[in-house]
Amino acid sequence: MRRLINASLILALLAAVAGSFAYLSLDLQALFGNGGLGQMGAYAARFLSPDLSPEQLRAVGRGALETLAMSGLGTLLAVILGLLIALPAAGRFGWPLQGTARLLLNGLRAIPELVWAALTVLAAGLGPNAGTLALALHTTGVLGRLFAEALENTPPEPAAAIRLQGGSQVTAFCFGTLPNLWPQLLAYSLYRWENNIRMASVLGFVGAGGLGQMLYTTLSLFQEAQASTVIIAMLVLVLLVDALSDVLRQRFVRA
Amino acid sequence: MTITLTGTSLRHGQVQALHAIDLQVAAGERVAIIGPSGAGKSSLLQLIASAMAPTTGSVELLGEAPWRLSARARQRLRARIGLIHQAPPLPPRQRVVTAVLAGRLGQWSTVRGLLNLLHPSDIPGVRAVLAGLGMADKLFAQCGQLSGGQLQRVGIARALYQQPQLLLADEPVSAMDPVLAEHSLKTLNQHASERGITLVASLHAVELALAHFPRVIGIREGQVAFDRPAAEVTSDMLDALYANEHLGSPPLPVPTLNLQIPRC
Repeated sequence: MRRLINASLILALLAAVAGSFAYLSLDLQALFGNGGLGQMGAYAARFLSPDLSPEQLRAVGRGALETLAMSGLGTLLAVILGLLIALPAAGRFGWPLQGTARLLLNGLRAIPELVWAALTVLAAGLGPNAGTLALALHTTGVLGRLFAEALENTPPEPAAAIRLQGGSQVTAFCFGTLPNLWPQLLAYSLYRWENNIRMASVLGFVGAGGLGQMLYTTLSLFQEAQASTVIIAMLVLVLLVDALSDVLRQRFVRA
Repeated sequence: MTITLTGTSLRHGQVQALHAIDLQVAAGERVAIIGPSGAGKSSLLQLIASAMAPTTGSVELLGEAPWRLSARARQRLRARIGLIHQAPPLPPRQRVVTAVLAGRLGQWSTVRGLLNLLHPSDIPGVRAVLAGLGMADKLFAQCGQLSGGQLQRVGIARALYQQPQLLLADEPVSAMDPVLAEHSLKTLNQHASERGITLVASLHAVELALAHFPRVIGIREGQVAFDRPAAEVTSDMLDALYANEHLGSPPLPVPTLNLQIPRC
């Protein structure tokens, strides 16, 4: 009996797979037969000869700088905004503000960068402005949450000791809490910057500037050689930023 | 009177830490508080430091009642009171010079205080205080690299640099070797008597209390067991104070740096 049920289950699954192919009219025959494989190979091969002409390199360099600037500025804005919202979100100014700040951070974080970019392109027009804003908004949500958790987990005693000898709230925070906190803040920020440089390369697809916009244009025009240069530039950029943030991490976080 | 406690009790949740304490300390007096572990020495110092409000009774410090003042006025009062913690809560990455300079944050304006984070403003002053404790060479070391005894001396240096009118010390030498403890207590007492400052210190080492302080208060189970000049404290009184107690220094909790590096 049991065996019969298992067999019929497997049969049903196979039927579902076959049904899916039929329903979506996926034609494997056309994909692999009729010289399809050869065409795919030829398309891929055209990427193997990147366009290294000076004009193209200059354009890609400008795009790379734009992407770098977008990710850097977006992350920096997010660090500042995130810290400002993290303070109430960690419950430093009472529970009504804590709830509001957490709701705001959740909202910012719940909407992905690409969706933010689609929205900011409508609001701020095509170009790197929109991309920077989109990165800043989403990353604020992520960093604000992480910062708030870091704030809640730092030991309160050093700041309490400074309050007890008459220091103000601000000085107690800067002398008592911040020294324990900032390596963690830096580590989180660098990590998000690495993420954002990758994301900034993609945001161009919705018109938010940088290398992504170049990639989208060249791919749409079937300029595989130019697209290949852009892809190489993206790789180099990501590797560079990873190396740089690694150096910063070694220098400041694991001291 | 620098300190006046009248019928002061303190309760932490279910635990009655102090029972109706009456205590008066005049300006310029130097007082040692001794007693077994858990007797309420630290709670008493916390009360006198205005860290906690008494459950019942009143506390009066330097002629003012801290818990009847506004928050701002209380902070001004607290700037005149220095507390040396048993395990000074100093951030491990902070440099010694910054940690000591933080002693005057109560006197300085916020802006002036914050400028010290960018550049230490009074290096000679800090060096002088640290030199008195044999720590001048650690001026620019990070607090996390110091031993427990060195950290305690940084804590003492911070309180001395604060130049308070009322100096409190909670087991200030518990992590030091005997010679160093002797020297540090001497420095504290010298500082206090030269400036006419009131000094109240809790100590677990009875010999140190009797040798350095003119007045000794014994605390047991949250009550004052005796309050005498050091010369009048007899071994019978000490035996009664520590009855059924094993003497020993409590371990000093070492501050640790908790660093989470996300790799998700």
